[in-house]
Amino acid sequence: MNPKITYPIPERQNTFYRSLRNIARIVFLCASAICLLINFLVKGKMWSLIVVWSLFSVWKLVFSLRLVEFSIFSHVIRISFYVAVLLLLIDHFLARGWAQTVIPIVLFAFLLLMFIIFYATYDRRARHLSSIMLLGLLCLTSIPYSIHSWPITNWIAFAFSTASFVLFLIMIIANRKDILYELKARLGTKQS
Amino acid sequence: MKQKQNLHLQKLKSGRSEAYGLRIDDFFNDLEKHLDLPPYGKNLIYQHFFQAFEYYQDHQVSLGEICERIAPEHLGSFYSDNQRKSYSLDNAAIVYPLGMKFGQMPMFRLSVELKERVEPILLQLALDFTIKRFPTFSAIIKNGFFWHYLETTNHVLQIEEEKDIPCKPISILLRSYRSLRVLYYKKRISIEFFHSITDGSGGMVFLKTLLGEYFRLQGKLFSYCCDVKDPDEEPLEGELVNEFRNAQGKGDLSKFVDKKSLQLDGKLSKIGVTRILHLIMDSDELKTVSRSYNGTVTAYLCAILLLAAKKSILKNNGIFNIQVPVNMRKFNHSVTLRNYSMYFNACANLSDISDKKQLVEQIAVQIKEKGDETHMNQMMKITGKVIDSLAYIPLFIKVPVMQVVYGYLSNSIIGCTLSNLGIIELPEQLQDEIDSFQFVLMPGIPNRVTSSMVTYGKKAVFTLIKNCHETVFEEEVYRLLSEDGLSIQMEGSVEYES
Repeated sequence: MNPKITYPIPERQNTFYRSLRNIARIVFLCASAICLLINFLVKGKMWSLIVVWSLFSVWKLVFSLRLVEFSIFSHVIRISFYVAVLLLLIDHFLARGWAQTVIPIVLFAFLLLMFIIFYATYDRRARHLSSIMLLGLLCLTSIPYSIHSWPITNWIAFAFSTASFVLFLIMIIANRKDILYELKARLGTKQS
Repeated sequence: MKQKQNLHLQKLKSGRSEAYGLRIDDFFNDLEKHLDLPPYGKNLIYQHFFQAFEYYQDHQVSLGEICERIAPEHLGSFYSDNQRKSYSLDNAAIVYPLGMKFGQMPMFRLSVELKERVEPILLQLALDFTIKRFPTFSAIIKNGFFWHYLETTNHVLQIEEEKDIPCKPISILLRSYRSLRVLYYKKRISIEFFHSITDGSGGMVFLKTLLGEYFRLQGKLFSYCCDVKDPDEEPLEGELVNEFRNAQGKGDLSKFVDKKSLQLDGKLSKIGVTRILHLIMDSDELKTVSRSYNGTVTAYLCAILLLAAKKSILKNNGIFNIQVPVNMRKFNHSVTLRNYSMYFNACANLSDISDKKQLVEQIAVQIKEKGDETHMNQMMKITGKVIDSLAYIPLFIKVPVMQVVYGYLSNSIIGCTLSNLGIIELPEQLQDEIDSFQFVLMPGIPNRVTSSMVTYGKKAVFTLIKNCHETVFEEEVYRLLSEDGLSIQMEGSVEYES
């Protein structure tokens, strides 16, 4: 068949990322299975769960990007979530006692960074508000941890959690109209 | 940026009278009032106007005429109003983002072949002026807690010269992602739509309106009719309605699921579309041939597809389903520009097929029975019921589940699609400017082929969009059509390699 060619001849398609993704999928799955098996055989601390979570995080953050509403903001929130869980796992399975302090600091750092970027370019970024609100909520989860054994409080964690809470509050007050709009749009269940 | 703009202004004024210069200053001062965009967007709009001014000056158009044709008033408040508006997705659109996977985005493309080469500068400005009339077309998909939804944006859409494979997924990594792309190539203007924002008929209204605006900028006079909208009009309320909500009748869930269909032989391509073939026929001839088989054009083409499928599937003992979309607007004259199509499957057991005439008649009966208003309304009702039942399940649960289920409920039960957009009409004054229309529908996995049809004037363009490299199917389609005495002009793309 020889049709008259009426379409441009495209450059050879770059399938590098696709191939890399396919290879990564196989390697990650094999590595996870091997680690779990070795850990099961040699017993001891559950280090394999940390490896599996790390590989899963890399997969989600590098090879399985969000197809809807991908932005630097939504990506940073994902990173902060995976990092927080990883820290929690390390603390729980390998070396206990420091995550309660470190996680609020890490999350606050992420929130502060997003806060600065957001307000530096507010007009253009208003539509990313909900991503930051989500990160703010994530930060708030560390407050109960820091005060759960009151009056013996983890003061560092408490200070950073409170700072996160203050940032969160500022954002709510400053953007209450946008937040109301976001809540209405995102919580809708009915079709128009 | 200001310095660059001043340079452009000086260039436009050079060698002209003082009064000319003052008028240009007034024009751009007026333009400034219509823009409340970030610097990047504002700069783009300025570029579009500078280029248009230069284009008109080169074509000896008077200043008064230029100022009238590209008056900033045509931008309306689109680029100055930053208020966001959200729209729920309609019942058909809601499925598309749920079933999306890496490298797979349900897209379709409408093209128009002009008689003259496309002027990109005017096309860009036509797009800037047209987009405000279609708020849901400038919207992007966002994640809700329960469903995805559309949110309007006023990002500046840039036209692009066509260089790549048609209907490639829109990159999510762009500075500001969007739901459509406008392309030009020689004499062709194409718009590729993400299916969630509209269907073929809605997309055609947008293309016609863009085309009308393009010709207005060229100085051609015409009356707004035949779905060529006046871009300066406010969008009608009915254009934004989810008509699925108004479905009548009872919905029987058992009709929602069909048997699994056979698929054409051939390895699925990694890059999506492997080839596009347009079989251009005389519409009267095609109609006459279809009638000689006691069928409609759609029934005749379905039969051709089934016969070609029989030839290209080695183990052809089983059902082959052809999905035929039905434009619901024809039943209730709705003006909605959202998705408003339902589907039925025209099917046959390939091993039972022997006679072409018998097959056309069999398909014609199926079309009459399954494609009537009552049946389609029932399908709409069922769709509504299914969606209502899922309403309160959070999206983060729905998405992974739907990604698995979607394949079983949609693409696996069809072997091919035949979407016939029907006859395209245009205002009389524009008819001579256009050669033909084309419609390209992206095949979903695991389908190896989809087909589409659109007719303008005497030209019926039947398009095959392949997803694999085997050529038996299209060769058989060509042979079967030629066998019936149809003269076919074949156009298309090269075979795309990964």
